[in-house]
Amino acid sequence: MPEIMQYVTRESAFHRLHPFTKLIGAVVVVALAVLTNDTMMLAVLVGAVVAAAAAGGLARDLLRQVPLLLSLAASLLLLTVLTIRSGDTLGFLVPPAVPVVGGAIPVTAGAIDLALAMSLRFAAMLFAFQLFVISTQPRDLVHVMDRLRMPVDYTLMLLIALRFIPSLQLEGKRIHEAQLARAYNPGKGLVGRVRGLFPIIIPLVSNSLGKATVLGLTIDLRGYRSGMRTPMRDLTPGRADVAGICCMGLLVAGYLAVLVA
Amino acid sequence: MTPETALSLAGVSYTYPGSGSPALDGIGLEIRRGEIVLVTGPTGAGKTTLCLAASGILHHEYGGTLEGSITILGKSVRDYRSMAGIGRHVGVVFDDADAQLIFSTVEEEVASGLENLGISREEMQRRLHDVMEATGIAGLADRAPHTLSGGQKQRVAIAATLALGTEVLILDEPTAELDAEATAAIAALLRRLADEGTAVLIVEQKLDALAAVADRMVLIEGGAITHEGSPAQAVHDALTESGARRPVLAAAPRRGAPPIISVRGLVHRYDGVTALGGVDLEVAPGEIVAVVGENGSGKTTLVKHFNGLLRPTEGSVFVDGLDAAKVPVAELARHVGLVFQNPDTMLFAETVEEEVAFGLKNIDPGDPGQPVDAALREVGLLHRKAVYPRSLSRGERQRLAIACVIAMRPKVIVLDEPTTGLDARESARVMETLDRLRRDGHTVIMVTHDLLLGEAYADRLVRMEQGCVRV
Repeated sequence: MPEIMQYVTRESAFHRLHPFTKLIGAVVVVALAVLTNDTMMLAVLVGAVVAAAAAGGLARDLLRQVPLLLSLAASLLLLTVLTIRSGDTLGFLVPPAVPVVGGAIPVTAGAIDLALAMSLRFAAMLFAFQLFVISTQPRDLVHVMDRLRMPVDYTLMLLIALRFIPSLQLEGKRIHEAQLARAYNPGKGLVGRVRGLFPIIIPLVSNSLGKATVLGLTIDLRGYRSGMRTPMRDLTPGRADVAGICCMGLLVAGYLAVLVA
Repeated sequence: MTPETALSLAGVSYTYPGSGSPALDGIGLEIRRGEIVLVTGPTGAGKTTLCLAASGILHHEYGGTLEGSITILGKSVRDYRSMAGIGRHVGVVFDDADAQLIFSTVEEEVASGLENLGISREEMQRRLHDVMEATGIAGLADRAPHTLSGGQKQRVAIAATLALGTEVLILDEPTAELDAEATAAIAALLRRLADEGTAVLIVEQKLDALAAVADRMVLIEGGAITHEGSPAQAVHDALTESGARRPVLAAAPRRGAPPIISVRGLVHRYDGVTALGGVDLEVAPGEIVAVVGENGSGKTTLVKHFNGLLRPTEGSVFVDGLDAAKVPVAELARHVGLVFQNPDTMLFAETVEEEVAFGLKNIDPGDPGQPVDAALREVGLLHRKAVYPRSLSRGERQRLAIACVIAMRPKVIVLDEPTTGLDARESARVMETLDRLRRDGHTVIMVTHDLLLGEAYADRLVRMEQGCVRV
């Protein structure tokens, strides 16, 4: 089962970068994505992140999020069409030929633009964060946040959140299998999916709460609040980090140039 | 209490929040430096609560009523500011190995605590190498912990704790899912640490290997210590009393009849890993077969093909004449019932009765009344039918999981590690149930890392090794 938001053991260019460089990269992309509503600029930003991932051999891992992003984009599109009336009317959700209600809910260019911008913004932010997470070991992440003087509780919260993603995925799969083995067949489609959740959610939540207690205790007992952290590996920035920072500088410069023009 | 005392509990009683009766009742126990104390007792006796008390967790993290005094290295647990402070002196291995694994690779997991000790990188590397070799996980260094088998996870959790080099170790059923070889290795490692001055408190049901290295053994029942003595005598008493390891004499399998399960050249690969490398196997109707092998040898992967949860990459699996590669899981469930290792994986209903009826309704929407009662009577839980399933004891939950499957009357019943976490009495009870099922004409396949259990109760052992059946 492909896992989402998990470190991928591989020897890629991104893996060799200093975690701080990758964190700066992720923050820069997120900031640029937030500062514009221009769909073209957002599309270029998404393209730049995917191209960087492809150059580092991580594109396939990144693109696993595409189904999630497409679902999100469809939901946003529906939401904006239902709530925004702005710009030219491109058509109607209910065709004008339909008696009585025909021509209801106009689809406007402004609504589509906004949905597209929000989807691209979300894609840029998600890809940037994912690229950081899948190429950085959690212990290096802890080290960077420690160096940034982040409160230890926030660091541990992030660590636990990342840890629980595959855990919930696997536990959910295990529970699903256990119910399937009891001949459970909730049916297909949306109704089937919703019906199928009930025998899974209760064991999943109960088991996860038990695990969360043990996980918190384990973190405490391993001394994450000791304040005496020494990373086992030597994390020193190298030439690749300088090149990475230069690329980000170029991206920011180009972005600002377009913004000013 | 002498200066040599590392851990001391005096008159400790504890009642969980909302509970009417104490889980611990007047516990008095001292463990000296260099001593290994092995604690055993029936399921639900209070062994895990004892571990939580001794490590200071009850005081710092739980509510409830705690009486008596608990000291670690001469200092009351009340005087330690938090669990982080206690963690500098006490290492704890919890019974849920999965929940203790945080990081993305095994090496990172074991190194995680070392990085917080303020020691040099050379010392970290030395300790990391030593503990990974000693616990037999050096070959797993780059694997993601959550992808390992149950036994491998336990070894990683033990290694991550031992790497801290604490003066006191508290281990709650640390070898429950380990095979005999790995258990012996962990026992020898604990003895070595004790000889170097570490105080060790181990709670365990599997007594054989650990009793051989323990200095003292404590029996706990109903939250109180009822026996304390030499490990050898205690092992003898426990085995005699429980009647465990008693061979079962039952109806012989129907030799000569067409096999109910037929596996030919079964290969299963995922993510570039070959989990099964060409398995051939036939199971006769009415047989009790034990699939045994080391942790990670492919036992669970094999049996998941019997009910279609996994499909062959190559080869074929026929069950009761059906091609398990093509028939839907819901249809195969009428022929093969699978009891998962952890009963909590399946329990979701409001009552025991509803839980058992769930599977029955899936195959026959009519009134499930009688078969539910029959299944609950079979496992000795009929009097508990109105109870919330998750409030049952571990042993009762395991028997409930079996009831859920047998109520559907499948011809083949597969059980993945049916006795893990159960005491000898509960284990024997589960095995007696399986024997009765076989007498009723069912075929029983149990997956176990416990070779002795397989030898005692099965007609035949199927030994798995690195994804293949060893002849």
